[in-house]
Amino acid sequence: MRAHERTMSRFDAESPVSDLNRAAETAIQPPQGLWEILSMCRDYWQRTQGAFDITLWPLNHLWREHSGRGEEPTGEAIEQARRQTGFERLQFDEIAHTLRFQTKGMSIDLGGFGKGFAIERLAGSLRAQRVEQAFLSFGESSITVLGSHPHGPAWPVGITNMFQPSQTVHTFHLRNASLSSSGTAPFNCMEGPKVLGQIIDPHSGRPLEGYRTISVVSPSGIEAEVLSTALLVTPERDRAALLSGFSTVSAIEIVYRTSAGKFVPCIEWKYGI
Amino acid sequence: MESDSSVVSSGGSDRAHRREFLKRLAVLAGSSALLADLPWWSPLRAQPVGDSPADRVRIGLVGVGTRGNLLIAHLLRTPGVEIAALCDDYEPHLQAGLARVKGAKGFADYRQMLDMPGLDGVVIATPLYLHARMCLDAFSAGKNVYCEKSLAYTIEECQAVADAYRGSKQVFQIGHQRLYSPLILRALELVRNGEIGQITQIRAYWHRHGNWRNPVPDPSLERRLNWRLYRAYSCGLMTELASHHIQVANWFLGAHPVACAGYGSINYWKDGRELYDNVNVVYRYADGTQVIYDALTSNRLYGEEIQIMGPKGTIEAVSGKIFAENPPPAPGIVQLINGIEHGFFNTVPIGGPSWVPDLKQDTKGNLIVSEKLTDDGTAIGLAAFANAIRLRQPIPGMMEQACRAGVSVLMGQASMEQQKEIAWPEEFRV
Repeated sequence: MRAHERTMSRFDAESPVSDLNRAAETAIQPPQGLWEILSMCRDYWQRTQGAFDITLWPLNHLWREHSGRGEEPTGEAIEQARRQTGFERLQFDEIAHTLRFQTKGMSIDLGGFGKGFAIERLAGSLRAQRVEQAFLSFGESSITVLGSHPHGPAWPVGITNMFQPSQTVHTFHLRNASLSSSGTAPFNCMEGPKVLGQIIDPHSGRPLEGYRTISVVSPSGIEAEVLSTALLVTPERDRAALLSGFSTVSAIEIVYRTSAGKFVPCIEWKYGI
Repeated sequence: MESDSSVVSSGGSDRAHRREFLKRLAVLAGSSALLADLPWWSPLRAQPVGDSPADRVRIGLVGVGTRGNLLIAHLLRTPGVEIAALCDDYEPHLQAGLARVKGAKGFADYRQMLDMPGLDGVVIATPLYLHARMCLDAFSAGKNVYCEKSLAYTIEECQAVADAYRGSKQVFQIGHQRLYSPLILRALELVRNGEIGQITQIRAYWHRHGNWRNPVPDPSLERRLNWRLYRAYSCGLMTELASHHIQVANWFLGAHPVACAGYGSINYWKDGRELYDNVNVVYRYADGTQVIYDALTSNRLYGEEIQIMGPKGTIEAVSGKIFAENPPPAPGIVQLINGIEHGFFNTVPIGGPSWVPDLKQDTKGNLIVSEKLTDDGTAIGLAAFANAIRLRQPIPGMMEQACRAGVSVLMGQASMEQQKEIAWPEEFRV
């Protein structure tokens, strides 16, 4: 686990990801592990029509900074940050095996993907040790199970109402599967009249608004992670097409709307259930 | 000037460190939303000063015993303070003190120390029965006064000190260091934010296991060195320990008690002492809140705590924890493990995106401060005293805190001795 974190963390100044983020427009030769991870990210970026994109950090950072002060960035600032984002601006030289940012100020963030990658590796190593039943949880947003619950046919996992944790909105029955949840949240709960999500829509350069979560069940921990993020920024009408390119998946979207001063969860969309 | 260099060299880097700390504190003190609740923090809004002679506050300390020595250690590190004089009528303590504070002038009689020219402030760390007369003499001599708790030996003496001080431009501070404790402050902030709801009860206790004696080189010195055990000098556990917690209770409740009742006895340390080795007092407040206090010297399991209770939660202000009455459910993974261990097949609740678990708590309580605090308020309090002298501004609210606590503990002692309810002296005026 520690080795994975060392490769992928943008918060570790010594990590290969930090090396790349520091290199600006200079080409660097990443370690084989990172090259493979970024190749996978490129693959998912293509298969999700750009909805899954690990290069959105400059936009994320811009919105985070401004919402901390209770204001919106200017259109000009958003445009500038947009020019520093987009996976197409990360150049892969397949022959020299080097990576290069096309624009200065670019930065990658493997965040959720890193969790999916690590949990999938961990599950693999448990399987190799012939562990038949396991429940792995990385802070509840990434879960992988092996086999079933010791006292039942599956692992029942209930997605709770985030404003009322005693209430379950939907229950998934997992067997040898992964569940990933992504959602919007205010950057700063105490300030600002507007809720600004931590998920940036790569198509608009703006954060998603309101409270929404998407939970995805997949045989693969990585794909559950990729899809929960990608589906959030993909319009409902395009979601089925996006999912047709992936192995068996079920998913659910919960939207919280205000009613009589309270946030009420509503199952807005589901797939494969 | 001889003393200057020695003071600086004996605590130079410590002092620089403390200066930095106080600078940060000045910003905090200036911006705290709680300032209405702690007017005595106002001197801390002034930035601490350098070591130049013009900024220096010259202090004389009387009573170089256990507490006096601790205060010396802090004063040596307080920016802009010089310990110019030490006083003790017990020669070995005085000499030990003078050996620590090179250049300080030594006195056996505090009245002679008060006559010393150029002395800005007096720190009184003597046995309780001497507090009032020393405060009064120091006020008369025009000195600023830091008096160790508890304020005085009798309620009449508390009144006399308050009367002598009323309208004075001098600085007075009582050694209730919790008035400056960042931890207690955080607890107060949580209470004011409504985290536990209305305060419905405060329970405080201080349990130790020991005879509370100092070694005595000669039997003739027993009463002088073990004054805390004898009624002519002290009120024992009430004035020496309970006063700390009762002060906090009065502060948090914003009132003095209207009455109290209690029992005490000597049930274990039957060694000739006159003062109780266990005390148990209940205080009643005008709004119907009760404060329950006990101190014990024959069992240390529960140690020291102030439990501030309300319908929404409990704060333990010494260990620095808060407990919710209705804690949010345990994290799903904990529920899952409990379920498996008990043979249940139930759903694992999960919060979805990972930013939710912030809400989750367990029943072991949550720490109310994230960093480790090293100061119980003594260091900050002495800095406030020095700043107030320099600013020539009395510390607001201080005498009232001193009197409320001082009178309350004497009421408790009286109640135990007379075995009856004792009412707050209505005629008392700060």
